Amino acid sequence: MVEIIAITGGKGGTGKSTVATALAYQLSKTSKVLLVDADVDCPNDHLLLSIKRDELKKVYQRIPKIDASSCIMCGKCGKVCKSKALISLKDKLPIFIPEQCNGCGACKIVCPTNAITWEDKEIGTIYIGTRNHLDLLSGDLKTNQPVSEFIVNHLNEEIEKKKEKYDFIIIDTAAGTHCPVIAAFELANKVIAVTEPTPLGTHDLEIILKLLQTIQLNGRIIVNRSDVGNIELVKNLAAKFATQIIFEIPYSKEIVNSYAKGNPIHIPHILDVLQQ
Amino acid sequence: MKSIVVLSGKGGVGKSSISASLAVALSKDKKIVCADCDVDASNLSLLFGLTEKEYAQWVPLSTNQVAIIDKEKCTSCGKCVDSCYFNALKFKDGVPVVSKFGCEGCGVCELVCPAKAITLEDINNANIGHAKTKYGFSVASAQLAPGNSGSGKVVAEVKKKAEEIEPSADILLVDSAAGIGCPVIASVTGANYAIIVTEPTPSGFSDLKKALAIINHFRVKKGLIINKFDLNQEYTDKISSFAKDNDIKIIKKIPFDKDFVYAMTKMIPLIEYNTLYEDLFQDIKKTVLEELGN
Repeated sequence: MVEIIAITGGKGGTGKSTVATALAYQLSKTSKVLLVDADVDCPNDHLLLSIKRDELKKVYQRIPKIDASSCIMCGKCGKVCKSKALISLKDKLPIFIPEQCNGCGACKIVCPTNAITWEDKEIGTIYIGTRNHLDLLSGDLKTNQPVSEFIVNHLNEEIEKKKEKYDFIIIDTAAGTHCPVIAAFELANKVIAVTEPTPLGTHDLEIILKLLQTIQLNGRIIVNRSDVGNIELVKNLAAKFATQIIFEIPYSKEIVNSYAKGNPIHIPHILDVLQQ
Repeated sequence: MKSIVVLSGKGGVGKSSISASLAVALSKDKKIVCADCDVDASNLSLLFGLTEKEYAQWVPLSTNQVAIIDKEKCTSCGKCVDSCYFNALKFKDGVPVVSKFGCEGCGVCELVCPAKAITLEDINNANIGHAKTKYGFSVASAQLAPGNSGSGKVVAEVKKKAEEIEPSADILLVDSAAGIGCPVIASVTGANYAIIVTEPTPSGFSDLKKALAIINHFRVKKGLIINKFDLNQEYTDKISSFAKDNDIKIIKKIPFDKDFVYAMTKMIPLIEYNTLYEDLFQDIKKTVLEELGN
């Protein structure tokens, strides 16, 4: 049975991708591993591992197309559009702003003359790549499309299709706690939150632990740059949420250098995190 | 009031640390107000030493709705489940159930329900508040309820709140979230000047280009700060020539310094923590104000 582990953290730059790539790369030496870059706003795992990505597929979202000859300018579509993508004007054709549209379909349902049909707008791309025995699946959001979670949902579909082939699937999530992060937890059976021992790191870790509590997933903690700051802050939080710090990564100039150069990052004993 | 947005694409490059010190520098000769628009993980106020208890009050905010199903009226016909584009409705024990996290509040289910069993209700998806820093200016912040959607709309509310509490401010400084998704788009909307913070790594460079695409879409004037520039001279050079080719002003290159972390741990802006940074941030301020035409 495949183990699906999501790597998250709340705050940006705590080392999510560093841990995800190091863990996946090390694991791939002995097991079949798929690394999924679900930070679709700014995917970087391929850069950290110097993997050339090939396009697997484009991701589209439906948007309404209004047939001007059938539109009677009744204004109903603009009235039901909650995302303000359709604006109805008196005695004029509605104005459509594609960037605002989430494809919900309310406009099509209320149009009395069936003047609305669907067309596709491109919202991103899904890529694949390989390095040695490690497979990478990477989602990439197109600029100015506020629908990151849709790309993550498409990644989840791909994971479902491929999961039988792997022993481990490592999902690297975005920063934050909103929709694309939650979507990335959907298939996970284990979540690891990477944090740093600063007031900011722990503030954001607490939010992600609360979220995990709400969706009934147990979150384990990795403390990165564990010797720069105050680790007691993280220990207190771990106790509060009845979870544990499973791994500490001291500050290392080598990790910083590997990161900067795009060499796979080596974190000694990183596979220990799987024992916990 | 002119607004400056600070963004980076990549997280952890020093956005909030730089915003906090720039705010202190700016406040010495301008009336300013800050908006912490990283509503998922709001950190700016922590860098000013403000914790939640320093906020006079947190006001519940509702920028989203969710579908509520009246089980008495529901006939389990399944039309709502079939028509939900976000798969937020699923059958459980024979009745449709709404997923709180998946529901976008679009109202399609309400429109298609033949039994009128569905209504949309406002949900409290964030709390919003403001506090005065010991440096004399105020910060508006919000915390999105973990897992809730609508962060873009919450960002718009935080900016509005900042303008409300200091209507006579010269400058609104907006610290945005990581990424390029809806909260960042909402942060950049309406800005007069954008500061992109980057670091000399392949990831920093890639994400810088993504942040730039958003800024260019909104045609906002912009400048670049390369943080930790001495970590990788090759990438600092690459980024510098990219900036030159794309007509982006380099505001400053800042060396790597663990004092960024130590100042953060003490919850003091870097400019106050280490006086050696006074000149550096005064320089940044001067350039930014010139660029802003102030």
